[in-house]
Amino acid sequence: MTTVDSRNGRRLTARGEKTRAKIVAAAADLMYVQGIGATTLDDVLMASGVSKSQLYHHFAGKDELVRAVIDHVGERIIERERDALGHVSTIPGLRRWRDALVQNNALRHGAYGCALGSLASEVSDQDDAARQAVSQLFIEWQGLLAGVLRRLQDGGALPPEASIDQLATGLMGAVQGGYMLAQTARDVTPMATSIDMALAHIESLSPD
Amino acid sequence: MRTYFAEVLARERACLAGITDRAMLTSWRRRVVEELMTPQSPYALALRQTGDVRDRADFLDQWRELLAEAVDRLLQSRVTGDTPCASPEGPKADVDAQKTAVLILAALHGGSTLSQLAQDPRPLNAALDLALVSFVAAEDNTPARTGTSSSISNMDL
Repeated sequence: MTTVDSRNGRRLTARGEKTRAKIVAAAADLMYVQGIGATTLDDVLMASGVSKSQLYHHFAGKDELVRAVIDHVGERIIERERDALGHVSTIPGLRRWRDALVQNNALRHGAYGCALGSLASEVSDQDDAARQAVSQLFIEWQGLLAGVLRRLQDGGALPPEASIDQLATGLMGAVQGGYMLAQTARDVTPMATSIDMALAHIESLSPD
Repeated sequence: MRTYFAEVLARERACLAGITDRAMLTSWRRRVVEELMTPQSPYALALRQTGDVRDRADFLDQWRELLAEAVDRLLQSRVTGDTPCASPEGPKADVDAQKTAVLILAALHGGSTLSQLAQDPRPLNAALDLALVSFVAAEDNTPARTGTSSSISNMDL
């Protein structure tokens, strides 16, 4: 597999691709743990072990690296969510999805939150291209939730007049807010409560 | 950072303490959405994931407690049935004030982050619609998504 370098559009060699991936992975980890603002290119150099000239060969500066991190994190999360939600068509299925999210976040007592959500809070008032990229990823994630709700509706578990997109957007708010409360409390309980309550409300719309 | 926390709590204490019916809940909600959609407002600044984590945790605990008290009052008035809050479907005895407060706070937090990201108040309104569904749903006998809330969703902020 060859990738096209975002900077100059040329194809990367296998080795160049590996170096680029190493830089992006190190930057993604650092930005997840300490935030975009607090992550310097020197931090990324140290964590990835690549040389300065290698880094600048792939990225003109931090903004470009941030955008590569957004693509990297987004791809990972969307893939995870597509696997988890792609075939869910029942409320118990949604609850299993919720269990996995909470369980994964509990590993570090929720300390770092959702990788995509933490990017969201940092890019909102900075780089507009980055903001739009993250926004687009959330639209994609919400689309997966809407898919589940639509299948619930088709199966009769939600009334025909229920506004699926509106509910999917509301559920995403509860999920992201839950991650944020867990991050501050260093405890996943409020995240579990928040998603449980949102799912209970969705379930209560059921016609029977 | 602490000053934003203190300001938000003072205003929330004043506003939430007076909530005894759905109409008041709706005007509280409208005001908070406006605040959160105003860049650099104390509300927007207080919900950032920055600053001392213990201060922030303390702030969120206090806000959640104020929300839980307001939710509890609404539930009480619904049980006694002597206010316009009484639902024609009867009280939902299974509504838990503490847990509802957690969801409302999560909706404010997550919804405002998504709204600021999209530069659109709709995600925040959708999150609040879902969080407040047990209170607003009975209004005009229409579901929350098409009731009062949609006029807020369409409000030009």
